[in-house]
Amino acid sequence: MADEREIGGRESEEVCPAPGRREAIQALAGGLAATVAVAAATALSAPPTEPAPRNGRGIQYGMVIDVRRCIGCHACTVACKSEFDVPVGENRSWVEYVEKGEYPYVGRSFLPRLCNHCSIPPCVYVCPTNATYKRPQDGAVVVDVGLCIGCKYCIQACPYEARFLNPITGAADKCDFCLHRVSKGVAPACVSTCVGGARIFGDVSDPESEISKLIASERVTVLRGEMGTLPNVYYIAADHTDSIDARRPEVRQVEVDNHRRRKHWR
Amino acid sequence: MDLMIRRREFLKIGTAAATVSAAALKPAIAREAREFKPGGAGYSPLSGTGREAVATACAQCVSRCPAIGYVEEGRMVKVEGQPASIRTAGKLCARGQASVNLIYDPDRILYPLRRAGKRGEGKWQRISWKEALDDLAGRLKKLRDAGQPEKFMFHHGWISASADRLINEVFLPTYGTGTVVNQTCLGQGARQAAFQLTWGAHEDNWDFANTRFVLNFGANVLEAHTNHVALARILATGIAERRFRIVTFDVRMSNTAAKSNAWIPIKPGTDLAVALAMGNVVMNEGLFRGEGEAFLEFCKVTPRNDATVAEKVEALKAHLAPYTPEWAEPISGVPARTIRDLAIEFATAKPACVLSSRAVSSNYNGVDTERAILLLAAITGNIDNPGGRCRAVVPEWSYPKGPQDRPPTRRLEILNGFDGAVSLPINGVGHQVLKMIKDGRAGRPEVYLWYIYNPVYANGEVGENIDVLKDEALIPFTVAVTPFYDESAALADLILPDATYLERYDFEDGVSPSQVPEYYLRQPLVPPLGEARDFKDVCCELAERLGIPLGFKTGEEFVSKACQMTPEVADKAGGFRGLTKAGVWHDPGAKPAYYGYRREISNEEFKTSFLTEGVIFDEEMGVYWNWKKAGVASEAEARRVGYRRTPGAHKGYEAQLMRERIFIGFRPDRINKTGYFELYSAVLAERGLPPLPTYRPVPEHAEMRAGDLVLTTYKVNVQTLSTTQNCKWLTEIYFDNAARIHPTTAREHGIGDGDRVRIKSKVGEIETTAKWSHSIVPGIVAISTHAGRWEYGRYASKRAPFGVDDAPFDRLKWWPTNGTHPNWVIPNSPEPVSGQQRWGDVVVTLTKA
Repeated sequence: MADEREIGGRESEEVCPAPGRREAIQALAGGLAATVAVAAATALSAPPTEPAPRNGRGIQYGMVIDVRRCIGCHACTVACKSEFDVPVGENRSWVEYVEKGEYPYVGRSFLPRLCNHCSIPPCVYVCPTNATYKRPQDGAVVVDVGLCIGCKYCIQACPYEARFLNPITGAADKCDFCLHRVSKGVAPACVSTCVGGARIFGDVSDPESEISKLIASERVTVLRGEMGTLPNVYYIAADHTDSIDARRPEVRQVEVDNHRRRKHWR
Repeated sequence: MDLMIRRREFLKIGTAAATVSAAALKPAIAREAREFKPGGAGYSPLSGTGREAVATACAQCVSRCPAIGYVEEGRMVKVEGQPASIRTAGKLCARGQASVNLIYDPDRILYPLRRAGKRGEGKWQRISWKEALDDLAGRLKKLRDAGQPEKFMFHHGWISASADRLINEVFLPTYGTGTVVNQTCLGQGARQAAFQLTWGAHEDNWDFANTRFVLNFGANVLEAHTNHVALARILATGIAERRFRIVTFDVRMSNTAAKSNAWIPIKPGTDLAVALAMGNVVMNEGLFRGEGEAFLEFCKVTPRNDATVAEKVEALKAHLAPYTPEWAEPISGVPARTIRDLAIEFATAKPACVLSSRAVSSNYNGVDTERAILLLAAITGNIDNPGGRCRAVVPEWSYPKGPQDRPPTRRLEILNGFDGAVSLPINGVGHQVLKMIKDGRAGRPEVYLWYIYNPVYANGEVGENIDVLKDEALIPFTVAVTPFYDESAALADLILPDATYLERYDFEDGVSPSQVPEYYLRQPLVPPLGEARDFKDVCCELAERLGIPLGFKTGEEFVSKACQMTPEVADKAGGFRGLTKAGVWHDPGAKPAYYGYRREISNEEFKTSFLTEGVIFDEEMGVYWNWKKAGVASEAEARRVGYRRTPGAHKGYEAQLMRERIFIGFRPDRINKTGYFELYSAVLAERGLPPLPTYRPVPEHAEMRAGDLVLTTYKVNVQTLSTTQNCKWLTEIYFDNAARIHPTTAREHGIGDGDRVRIKSKVGEIETTAKWSHSIVPGIVAISTHAGRWEYGRYASKRAPFGVDDAPFDRLKWWPTNGTHPNWVIPNSPEPVSGQQRWGDVVVTLTKA
């Protein structure tokens, strides 16, 4: 049990924010400094607005995206832009289209994307100023714009391309699970407007929550599970075909497309 | 090394962590379930303070969804869905979410503008509203005083229900012009005509909540529809929960086709053949028995009104006999086996819902395609039933009608197309108006004013549209009422800056997916920016200036009075004040409207209350109608002329005699038809057209030469025809509309993926980029209708018309192209029955540029 804690089971959110990069990487690499990190995190973090974690298990917000219900309509994409007035050219939330096959045997599926609010968030460990941290009270990974120096390490470190440098604020930016809404009891903007009802938001460490029941009962996947980041965004029925598959010679026809790709990789 | 995590270490952790997470899921600690409200409140992400919430309605497309707008320190910041709405359940699509881009479009027109240079030269002079309306009212007064009010032509696009009533039903008739053109012919014209001919009502609803099978002819309801969010949310849920199977015929794999259980590629313009062949299977295999047979009681299938069901069955069998699946296979490209299987599945699902759209009705055979689809629904008993295709239910608003002592309106005969081209132009043929003005034989308007409409861009033959609008000899004075500088406004003499829909009051009447009407209002979130004014207010002022006061002074007063006059709203929804607060209202005790046609007039009712004053029986049609309600001068005249030949007699329709019983039946709304569901249309027969749905190939397609391709246009989920491209959050998602083409077809034409190509038709040519795609049928080229704008501001086009500096945001615009508009090569050509624009029949050649 002790080992589990060190490496980052359900308590992993308490491992961070790390007091310093060195310790963070140690924690990540071997889990040896976990206890130190927990103590430091409690001391350094902002006073929690949520109820204190019970039995050592804090709230961990997460999202299930039921791709069966997604119609690729981008209502989430634009709701998010509007909620945060996200500058043109960048997205906190977006939808990828995956099209496969040769006529007439073709299919198209959608993959809504956002920050995974990882339990082991690489972005947090590389941040030199602690501007990016994982909130102990709810497990959301957030950016303190005032502390961010715009060094882009976190943008490089994120395996999900979830981060960008906001051209207006000059700070790293990404999805924050709409904490300003959630803290008032209102669902995140993307969840609220999802036409097919594909997004389910809640506390993944609360076994009674709708999201936990879904994770327990459905075949869920996460993005890039092999990276060990322990994402808190789960997918039901996602097609994980990606641009790497598109380059495989034996795969006949795969196209992964979205406007964000077109901007950054055109 | 300190700065970066080494990949090797990272991977190691990953493996360890993966084993742990499974164990961590195990222990369950009881905790209160956290519920989040779906919406209805907004907060600033910066300060956390609450935002002012205002109930309103979206108008980014014709669906007009109830919405809530959020305002922060006087600035509108966000629009969300209305959680209390039974239509949308709080959902709003991407277009609606981007509404905020409209109000604060840096290229918005903020003041009245008068042309300073030559027409179309782009030189403008700012003038005051007084100057603008002095000029316009002066011209209108002159026309009216000369007895020629019809020379004022009003042309509008998708306008609100209240703008339609205030302007089209009150202001313009009071002024005296009937030269009023809408854009129905560009989208729903053929569908509506088929509906009006068959079941009277002009809109339909698809009851996804109760259906067990969905058969879709080309509808892309998950991306774009006249009732998009309301239907898409229920359809998406039904698909995800496997409550029904859905099969989609389309020439391209739309998102709707992609989400269907099967996408069945079909040759363009041939859905009629497949629908008829399915009808053939249903009749020949006896699948009409049961619900279908029962419904045939209410159908007219032969010239006789008193035919028995057995006779109707025989007539249908005989008519459909040639249309076998084997016959349809080479025409449509759909295997006979598939047609047969789907016909059986559709007929036996009980209930099943058949969908159709502009895509299959904007062809030469559009009206009969829609009629054949209605036939298929009828013979399987899937009309007006739970889970089937139903007549739409909308809120019925009462409103002030304005002065009633007005002379009859006069109109220019340019609204219905050239003589003989269109048999039954019930909804007008607006795409022919500029051609008819050019022709001149039926007269020309002196003043052409368009409102929420872009005649240059929205119609085909863009080049000709520009030529006609530019020519001052053809149209002496042009007025654009718009918040944005579009391709048509560029050719106006006067631009009146309109309020956006987030800056005005309206009542609306969107279709309810649950068959229970929902009343709702639109109200301003912020005052109109700059000197912009709601055109409804402007019409009220014009009426005052012309000495014909309408009885209300503003759009707001009109909407408020409508709330007083509409019993449901006044008595139950708390009137104007109650509805502006709550946003939406429906009767929670109301039962969904199904089977309305089955209501029978009993003998008792017939004797006591049915035969009120003015109700007479028409022997020929079997119709009970009220000649007084129909506006006929005397009973003698009504009896002499008869129901069929009396103009507007349908307004007096009461009930239909059906073989010795009297039913409410299918009430007509535009045509003097019977109360039967008319599979056999006497109205069409009278005009020498086949009375039962009959296959006719598209002539242009029949004449194609080797190498010719069919051009298909389509819509996507983040743009609305010609109105949303200035929304930067939408256009950054969808800015380019490369010509999609099947790789085999591309290779045959020597076109590589990404090549520049030239597409040529008999009316013009465009240059664009080819994009290979496996998701469209060979032999066509598909270009969406949303791009290629040369005006409409910096985000839609490359031009900022007034040169406003919008730093620091300007440097963020990143997309390299704005695509190509396909309408340059599409002729304005009417479907011969309804006048529907034939978007689908265009034949083009494709060469490397």
